[in-house]
Amino acid sequence: MKIKISRQSIYLITLSTILLLFVVLFSFLVLIPEGKKYREHRVELQKENKELTKYQNFHDETLEVYKQLQADNRHVIEALKSPFNIERFEKLHKEHFQTLIIAQKEKMADEETFSVYEVKTTSHIHSPQSFYDFLDAINKSEWVIGINFPIHFVRDGDLIKSSFTMRVYAAEKKPEKEDLNVSELEGEE
Amino acid sequence: MRYSYTKPRKKSIFTPELKLALIFFIITLGMLFLTYGFLSFKDFSFQSQKAEMIEKRFDLGEAIEEMKAQIALINKESLLGERITTQNSVLKDSITNLFDLIPQRITLSEASLLENGLILHGITPNKDIYNFMLQAPLRSIFHKTYSSFYPLSNGWLRFVSTNYIEDDSFENNITDITEEKALEKEGEDEN
Repeated sequence: MKIKISRQSIYLITLSTILLLFVVLFSFLVLIPEGKKYREHRVELQKENKELTKYQNFHDETLEVYKQLQADNRHVIEALKSPFNIERFEKLHKEHFQTLIIAQKEKMADEETFSVYEVKTTSHIHSPQSFYDFLDAINKSEWVIGINFPIHFVRDGDLIKSSFTMRVYAAEKKPEKEDLNVSELEGEE
Repeated sequence: MRYSYTKPRKKSIFTPELKLALIFFIITLGMLFLTYGFLSFKDFSFQSQKAEMIEKRFDLGEAIEEMKAQIALINKESLLGERITTQNSVLKDSITNLFDLIPQRITLSEASLLENGLILHGITPNKDIYNFMLQAPLRSIFHKTYSSFYPLSNGWLRFVSTNYIEDDSFENNITDITEEKALEKEGEDEN
């Protein structure tokens, strides 16, 4: 028995076979690996997104703490940043004394964060209160000033002469940036 | 010579069946390539998104480190500010207490407040007043007390009192003794 197949049918069968082979090979060799890669990358991206959200939350929390601290300590921060001005200091505190003389002492090697000034004052003997007022005013001044021992009081007629040294503190230099330690940060979270 | 009156139709290799099959093949191939294109595009997109996220995370990490350093600095500055304010307040109290310690009958001409001591120069009508009214409270504050007297032409005595403490801070001691004195006074007033 002779099977009669037309030429078109042969073309069709050949083309279909080639297509089938191409589809199978393309699917197994290209599409499926690509699909796997897609799935892996999607999972990785989700993980990364989760990690980023954690960082973002921690960043926001830290920022809030930082802002709060800045707001709470605005006076100290600004006081440490503002440069000391002898004329302004005299103008602000001269009202407490008859005379006020202030001079900067030579800076020592270990005095990086503060400068030392020598202060000499005179006030009326009946008004030691002026010295207390001066000490109160120092605590509220534009600078961070610490009065040091020794303090000498000498009576001169109806005046009290006092002399002491004071330290005017300045802000420390900004700490150098350290390398980001991701594991440490993750540990904290 | 013509054998038929009908016009011969053009014979083509693309029969309607073949055309249909070709359309089907093209659609199949198109879907395959579209899927591949979609996957490749998504893959690229994921890669770039991941790189962006890593960069953003790194930036956030740097910002966090920076803020942590700033927080530590502010805490340090705040502590320094508090320490200085307290130190000044204690100093003020110490000076107030020192002037409170001096009895009415003794006149001071010079006073030096040291970190661990106190040196007083002054005049007293006699040694007893000095011993009972000034040296006694000074002895209770300081560990070492030395006094020297020099007679004056009017019969009074010029004295130099040198007092030192060994352990605790001078301010604490002088503050404590003044508080004790105040309590004693209150007790006497009540009696």
